[in-house]
Amino acid sequence: MWKMGFKEWLFIVPTIVLIGIFSLWPVFQSLTYTFFDYRLNDQQKAGLYFNERFNVNLYKETQLYVTMFLDEDLPNVKDPADQKKVKSVNARLKSVGKQFANEKGVIKISRDQRADLVNLHHDAKNLVEALNGKYTLIHKDDLPALVDDIQNSIIPSNFIGFKGYNKIFHDDRVGIALRNTTLFTVVSVFIELVLGIGLALILNKAMFGQGIVRTTSLIPWAIPTAVAALMWSYLYNGSSGIVAHFFENVGLVKQSQDLLLSGPGAMASSILSDVWKTTPYMALLLLAGLQNIPSSLYEAGSIDGAGKIQSFFKITLPLLKPSILVALLFRTLDAFRVFDLIYVLTGGGPGGDTETLSIYAYKVMFGQTNFGYGSIIVMMMFICVAIIAILFVKFLGANLMEKN
Amino acid sequence: MQTSKRKLWITFGVFVAFYLFAMVFPFFWVFITSFKTSGEIFGTGAFRVIPKDPTLKNYITILFEKNILNSITNSFIVATTTTIYVVIVATFSAYAISRFHFKGKNILLGLILAVSMFPQMIMTGPVYNLFLKLDWLNSYAIVLPYSTITLPMAVWILVTHFNQIPLALEESAKIDGATTFQTLYKVIFPLAAPGVFTVAIITFIAAWNEFLLSITLNTNSEYHTVPVAISFLRTQFEILWGEVSAATAIVTIPTLIIVLFFQKQIVSGLTSGGVKE
Repeated sequence: MWKMGFKEWLFIVPTIVLIGIFSLWPVFQSLTYTFFDYRLNDQQKAGLYFNERFNVNLYKETQLYVTMFLDEDLPNVKDPADQKKVKSVNARLKSVGKQFANEKGVIKISRDQRADLVNLHHDAKNLVEALNGKYTLIHKDDLPALVDDIQNSIIPSNFIGFKGYNKIFHDDRVGIALRNTTLFTVVSVFIELVLGIGLALILNKAMFGQGIVRTTSLIPWAIPTAVAALMWSYLYNGSSGIVAHFFENVGLVKQSQDLLLSGPGAMASSILSDVWKTTPYMALLLLAGLQNIPSSLYEAGSIDGAGKIQSFFKITLPLLKPSILVALLFRTLDAFRVFDLIYVLTGGGPGGDTETLSIYAYKVMFGQTNFGYGSIIVMMMFICVAIIAILFVKFLGANLMEKN
Repeated sequence: MQTSKRKLWITFGVFVAFYLFAMVFPFFWVFITSFKTSGEIFGTGAFRVIPKDPTLKNYITILFEKNILNSITNSFIVATTTTIYVVIVATFSAYAISRFHFKGKNILLGLILAVSMFPQMIMTGPVYNLFLKLDWLNSYAIVLPYSTITLPMAVWILVTHFNQIPLALEESAKIDGATTFQTLYKVIFPLAAPGVFTVAIITFIAAWNEFLLSITLNTNSEYHTVPVAISFLRTQFEILWGEVSAATAIVTIPTLIIVLFFQKQIVSGLTSGGVKE
């Protein structure tokens, strides 16, 4: 090993920058989102406002309409004293507008400016109410609502601290999603592991067919998950899907339609597709581990009188353990984060029975544009993933760094 | 003894045959469906193995009306760009990590490993907002966040590869007066080429298959990549399985070619990344 010089540091910089911007910064940003009631589709909440802010655009628009409407209604206002009041409010609205002539978007304002705005809203509101009581205005319905927008252009802080976290404990959908995710992960990874070990053992012994099996195994792994999911959704399809038809004939489901339209059926279908797609990958990983076990160990075992089953449990499994743990860790995390497969195959349905945490977070963030709450769900996933990784590394001893 | 061995072989054979059948059948069936008319797919001929009157209509619709070629082009651009820059960036840093001693090396390695375990959903929200602000939505800038799914894996595999190349080679190059850059270019790259190539293929496949970032950042159908475009073929109101099948058949071909030609490299990459040797 050599000492690192300045030039060598430059070799690492791009990696650090990319990982910093696109992997680490988003994590901290998501964490920040969780403390705010952050919704992109709500003007009052479309940003992270730790303090109060002032929406200049909204104010300018409001000012324009209020002054215009009041001017239009001026002929209806008979009392000269009231007319004077209307003019004074209009003048004040405009003078405030002038202060912010060069601003746009959402800005910070001083305490005095804020007090002015609140006063202005108060006076304008009283004026409109008084006018509406005395005269029949053209804009009698629009003006009160419009005047309130003066107040609305002061954006209250949407900082909510840990309140958002409180919400996930009362949200049934999170509980259901967590249960679905866990069920999906445990069952699919377990089946994949058992089949994967079996397949790897056979391939390790087989004299022929290794090449063709390896090629065939790589295809499901290599095609996009979305494409695989769509393919399976055709095979599972109630009216013309051959797998659904086959399951009906065998008696696994009563009606072929039940496969995707009933909760357990849809979950089983998702798991089956996942098993189809990733068992080969698992088998290849384990096969590599198996091929590293020296055959002399088996010979020694058989001389000492160990049977096939005994040598599997006493030689193969212990020596394969590191490979199994690493493969298990990565597969568990992949299954826990599952998105494309379920998004395309069932969309989380029917009735949320296959909705996983990723799917729910996606729906909240990009369906309802509620980034605050969506980030909380994502953060929960993040914590679960961290726990899974720590469990594997600390307690099962999956040593990932040993090589280096 | 002889018969029991034969029985074992038969069991193996049956198991392997069943496995191959299970792996290939979905593709086979989709391929058949792509030649069926929609009348046959939804009618009584749904389970017929050989189409009654085979047609190329599905392929023609997909290629010329639904413009699948556009999304294949997009996927190709995005995956190639990602592969090129990720491989370059990863090679340099993996070399430095493998060869040099510096403070925080283990932290960096641990961080890279941890990043590969992050739920992708955690990047999606902030990156979406970042792109919204920069006006990068619906563009090929999407290749930059692809680094979070490809770069950690690439660095990891390459560090393993570089560790297997003996230091002595470079030291003798240094004695002969080569600069760090020259050593890298003339000694290390030729030796590391197989590893770099493996990483390139795996990165390409990962970028080609990416779904979540693509569907959230590039919502405009002009920028849809293959996985997203295909998922949009299934609309809420009608599912034209014939067209879906034809599209699946078309987009599986590039993957198939890659797998057939580069299976050795892929397997070595997968196993060196996931399993200790």
